[in-house]
Amino acid sequence: MTAIMNQPIRVENLYKTYGDVNAVKKVSFSVNEGEIFGLIGPDGAGKTTIIRILVSLLRADSGRISFKGRDVAGNTAFVRANIGYMPQRFSLYPDLTVDENLNFFGDLFRIPKAIQIQRKERLFEFSKLAPFKKRRTGQLSGGMKQKLALSCMLMHEPQVIILDEPTFGVDPISREEFWCILKSLAQNGTTVFVTTAYMDEARLCDRVGLIFEGDVLAIDTPDKLLKSFTGSLYRVGSASPHTAYEKLQNNPMFVSVDLFGDGIHITGDQALTVNKIKNEMERLALSYSAVSKIHPEMEDLFLSLMKK
Amino acid sequence: MQRILYIIQKEFRQILREKVFIGLIFGSPFIQIVILGFAITMDVKNVSLAVVDYDHSVYSRRLIDAFTVAGSFRFEGVLTSEKQVKIALDKGDIKLALIIPPHFERDLINGSHPKVQALVDGVDGNSAGVALAYVNQIAIKLQKEWLKNAGVTVSKIKEIHLTTIEPRMQYNASLESVNNIVPGILAVMLMIITSFLTGMSIVREREIGTLEQLMVTPIRSYELILGKVIPLLIVAFLLLNVGIIAAGLVFNVWMKGNIFALYLTAFFFSWSTLGVGVFASTITRTQQQAMFVAYFFMIFATLLSGFFIPIENMPKVIQGITYLNPLRYFMVIIREIFLKGTPLNLLWQETLAMALFGMGTFVFASLRFKKRIS
Repeated sequence: MTAIMNQPIRVENLYKTYGDVNAVKKVSFSVNEGEIFGLIGPDGAGKTTIIRILVSLLRADSGRISFKGRDVAGNTAFVRANIGYMPQRFSLYPDLTVDENLNFFGDLFRIPKAIQIQRKERLFEFSKLAPFKKRRTGQLSGGMKQKLALSCMLMHEPQVIILDEPTFGVDPISREEFWCILKSLAQNGTTVFVTTAYMDEARLCDRVGLIFEGDVLAIDTPDKLLKSFTGSLYRVGSASPHTAYEKLQNNPMFVSVDLFGDGIHITGDQALTVNKIKNEMERLALSYSAVSKIHPEMEDLFLSLMKK
Repeated sequence: MQRILYIIQKEFRQILREKVFIGLIFGSPFIQIVILGFAITMDVKNVSLAVVDYDHSVYSRRLIDAFTVAGSFRFEGVLTSEKQVKIALDKGDIKLALIIPPHFERDLINGSHPKVQALVDGVDGNSAGVALAYVNQIAIKLQKEWLKNAGVTVSKIKEIHLTTIEPRMQYNASLESVNNIVPGILAVMLMIITSFLTGMSIVREREIGTLEQLMVTPIRSYELILGKVIPLLIVAFLLLNVGIIAAGLVFNVWMKGNIFALYLTAFFFSWSTLGVGVFASTITRTQQQAMFVAYFFMIFATLLSGFFIPIENMPKVIQGITYLNPLRYFMVIIREIFLKGTPLNLLWQETLAMALFGMGTFVFASLRFKKRIS
């Protein structure tokens, strides 16, 4: 019983439509205490819809989400007081200073002033925003804004935090810094539920759910997910990858052919070898620079699951 | 309750940060009162006038003199024919022409009712009507003078049916429309600030996404609404006072009545316009849209308030509609208090109507807002 009470988030058969569009189709998963759970999928996969239902801003058509053992739909006040939510869009007051924004959110949760000061000091330690205390929020850089938004939602020290694409549009260095902060929060016992469209961020999560068009394709730790990749994967470097991709994509020799930033990724059965690929390329008079067997990344797995 | 204070504190931080806003609060009442007070005038002055005199007699000269000395007319000269009058009217050189027929003096003495023709440029119907009334007034005055000269006794004059209106304008002795306009401007200004800014300030939170963030905090929707409107109520109150001072300094129109009576009624009035602002925010997504909705309301409220057009002049159906207009009541109240010093107990009907309307609008809009966000 206590296990269920402590389970931060439990999603059961969640279903939601917007008119004719099935945004979320019977999704079920749960998030354990103190872990970073990442819901990963492209735009329009239904990530934001699930989050908005979770933070009580939207009602599901059927199914339910429980937050710490209580149904979200019937316990709006409880959810709103105990959850930390960072919306997809930056949503602080641009004409207020860093300090004023932090105070305002502390005030709304009725944190006594003395404790607010302590917490701000601690939050400044990781956010490194102390020198910008008096700066207007609208004048901060993208990465700083995201750190401030995170700090504001941590003012009431929620045990569960929900972040909707927090690293969207943020530069790589700030992204890395942001994930470090999430990691240390999780180490201190905070449950982190985060969505992202960046596949490479999957490895930073303890567990990952892959979502596409309202369906959860797979849920597991990043390692186990990658091990579930069947078949062998090859990378073909090419000077003209687009032409090669077009000629190869419907070739019956391969299970699938995908265009990547570093070339073409070819998936085949166990019988496929580097030489077979080279021969096929030469037969079709396609130029290539290198063919090598590679380990699958999350994106490869996602594409293969997506096509099933 | 405490959260309302936090929201108010935040609102004022934002308001004070906008230099433009502070200018708006203190500068705009002055500018509006000066410009509108001078520009919007119903007085008819300097009506350009020409005369065609076919009679050239002592009486016709006296008639022309009577018009040239009257302050309402600017005598442009004598024309020789009706043709010339028509040309002058067409060109806009004159607004009014008097044509004195031949044998005017003879017919007048004979008692065969000579007719003096007045041609008026009727494009601006209001001014034309007022100008004609002036013409009539002068004509009546002259007739009395002539009857006396002809040896008719005073008692006899009374028997002869001449219009004998003896106008004496109460409360606005000089009949200057600025006295009437200035309190009206104050009322309209109060409406603009409360309905416009309320709608915009709430929709702005939606636009920048903070509304969504606020909703996932323990704040209640009534706390949020009150926190948003109370600062604007305070701003409107300041603005009203600046406006009152401006009206006094610029036009010497000082308030005759009790200022606290005005504060109280203005407070009731503001709830209805704040309600309109909140309502506008519930049916719009952007600040522009909210502004447009508030603007739409304001145009109707102003035109149907009796500010420019007397409500009694409107068709019955429209008159009925004006009872739904909170500005209609406040327009009466602010003019009464300002110009006549009417005590509040004589204005209780308007006050009650406005208070009920205000509370109704505000509660309705707030419920809509609550439904929209929860």
